[in-house]
Amino acid sequence: MKKKAAALSVYVFFLVVLTACSLGVETTVNPPTAVPAAPSAALSAPPNAAPPPGYEGQTWADMVAAARGQEVNFYMWGGSDLINNWVTGYVAQSVADQYGVTLNVVPVADAPEYINKVLGEKEAGRDSDGSVDLVWINGENFRTMRQGDLLYGRWAQFLPSSIYVNANDPSVTNDFGFPVEGYESPYGKAQFVMIYDSARVAEPPRTIDDLLAWIRANPGKFTYPAPPDFTGSAFVRHVCYWAAGGYEPLLGAFDQAVFDEKLPACYAALNDIEPFLWREGQTYPENRTRQQDLFANGEVYFDMAYNPAEAASLVANGRYPDTTRTFVFDTGTIANTHYVAIPYNSPHKAAAMVVANFLLSPEAQLSKALPDNWGDLPALDPALMPAELQGQFAAIPRDPATLSTEELAAHRLPELQAPWLTAIEQGWETEVLQK
Amino acid sequence: MKDRLRIPLLLAPALVVVVVFFVGGLALALLQSLGYMPIIGRYEVSLDAYRAVLRRPDFYQSLLLTAWIAGVSTAVSTILALLCALALRRAFRGRRIATFIFQLNVPIPHVVGAVGVLFLFSQSGFLARLAYAGGLIREPADFPALVFDPLALGIIFEYVWKATCFIGVILLAVLLSLGESYEDAARTLGAGRWQRFRFVILPLLLPGILSSSILVFAFTFGAFEVPLLLGQRFPSALPVLAYRSYTDVDLNARPEAMAMSVIIALIITILVLGYMRTARWAAGSGQS
Repeated sequence: MKKKAAALSVYVFFLVVLTACSLGVETTVNPPTAVPAAPSAALSAPPNAAPPPGYEGQTWADMVAAARGQEVNFYMWGGSDLINNWVTGYVAQSVADQYGVTLNVVPVADAPEYINKVLGEKEAGRDSDGSVDLVWINGENFRTMRQGDLLYGRWAQFLPSSIYVNANDPSVTNDFGFPVEGYESPYGKAQFVMIYDSARVAEPPRTIDDLLAWIRANPGKFTYPAPPDFTGSAFVRHVCYWAAGGYEPLLGAFDQAVFDEKLPACYAALNDIEPFLWREGQTYPENRTRQQDLFANGEVYFDMAYNPAEAASLVANGRYPDTTRTFVFDTGTIANTHYVAIPYNSPHKAAAMVVANFLLSPEAQLSKALPDNWGDLPALDPALMPAELQGQFAAIPRDPATLSTEELAAHRLPELQAPWLTAIEQGWETEVLQK
Repeated sequence: MKDRLRIPLLLAPALVVVVVFFVGGLALALLQSLGYMPIIGRYEVSLDAYRAVLRRPDFYQSLLLTAWIAGVSTAVSTILALLCALALRRAFRGRRIATFIFQLNVPIPHVVGAVGVLFLFSQSGFLARLAYAGGLIREPADFPALVFDPLALGIIFEYVWKATCFIGVILLAVLLSLGESYEDAARTLGAGRWQRFRFVILPLLLPGILSSSILVFAFTFGAFEVPLLLGQRFPSALPVLAYRSYTDVDLNARPEAMAMSVIIALIITILVLGYMRTARWAAGSGQS
């Protein structure tokens, strides 16, 4: 009898713990901070911009009228509460108020999920009534969708907000070396930063050499998310740039000969540090979220992010300690642009373009740049704006955990073309993970 | 005549779902595994994907790991379920509530269970924090690696936690429907506790044990979410490996993903068929 009671209480305890744990996952929802009033973007398409296919001879006002009452299914990476809150809150509210468009956010873990969905619809012959209207995309995923003829275009040149996009900036007109050509509209910019806790690591290693030495001197306190995780893959590329003596040899189209000559040194370096990584390198965090947990729990002393302001927001919502800081390598860190695109079979293209235009507007880009909302780098070039708007962008507050725009800009490295990324990721899998 | 029409008609909605989604999906997977993907301009049919999969050394490592996870989970949960069912069938005060609690985790999704295991057993989880507070460990890394570990202990624990109740509920139902008359008869003939279990209860339970454990084995062999959340990055369970190929940005990796899925389905089918034969044989010998 007593034994049963004991067994029973163990069970109850376990259930209680489970419930408590699941409650603990919930994070507080920050209402998006109010944005200083910004004049909304011009209400007509840029001069000489060709209307997108299917809307020949129409004006932007026609587009806005067609969009009213439509629903936009926006498929986006859903791994950040901060970003999710900004989109489902501020953006959804604004497009509903200003354009009568309902924004329906569908979170995904990784872009191939929606690519497979659109691909499946194409295979099934659903060419005009697809379920995906707008996707958050860049790099190899953009390339894959272009090659599968899964994207609608050219439309991005027609957005009124696009007048503030710098058409001469190769990092905006090329997405990981692949020409954009109006098939996607800029959404924001990102730059890789390393994250550390200044209370644990007084002076961070600012070169790859120093970092590798630090890892050897501090066994078990460093790891990186396993590629093809976006962030982990970027970390590996930094080591590869270092091993190749700079990014220059790896630029341009994929070249197997260069790969065979330069990359073995990169994998050798990563294998050399493996015994000194978290869990002796026997396993790696499956994704960035796991890496965040490890850093937040003090299991490892470094985190890394593709968003320079993310550390600050994680400090603000209490997940990371106040002493969290970021740094970039002296040799620079990789930067890129992210975009939104419209699948070829979206039934709500006008509304999707209206949402894309809103996302690119100075109003939304300013709101997005505020650390409490998201802290993403603007995709617009303030130099092209009227003075009043320039002032508002210059006045964006900056957290001590975020590096200054000047410091980031001075340490910017280009992204490689998508086939390089895939090759480096596959090489990591066979040469580092499985060895 | 009327009945002959009525039964298939009544079954039709269920059969349509099974045929369209299950058989249809399987057929599509089979086609793609043979490299037939018109969408990216691949029309030729070949066994290349299967050859490529069978040449991958990590495929065999994953296969072994998956067999280990499914085998151990099934064995442990079957034994535990049997013990629990035997304990719960007797009348005792609070049996109703004990049975209720025993069945409580049947509707909890595996994903939730996996997250619970993560919170409890990871090196910065609840137990590790207790151990730290109690002065047993000095830093997170001192806590034994129970998730993301080479032996897949975290995955096995999650499966056992869930499957024990599942098998237990089935066995309990069988036990309760049997009643105590067989045992009483054996007792009057002088059978001891062990003899009553070994020669009366176990043979009667065997069909239930076999059919429920094969369900658990087939599920744990083919499920991917728990190994994805709790498993080591390499080697990973077979379904996780297939999923990674499926989500590879290179669409040409798809035939390999589909080939792996077809192989998983094939292995499970063979195992289930073999198991069913054993079950029939066991049921037959139990009755004689």
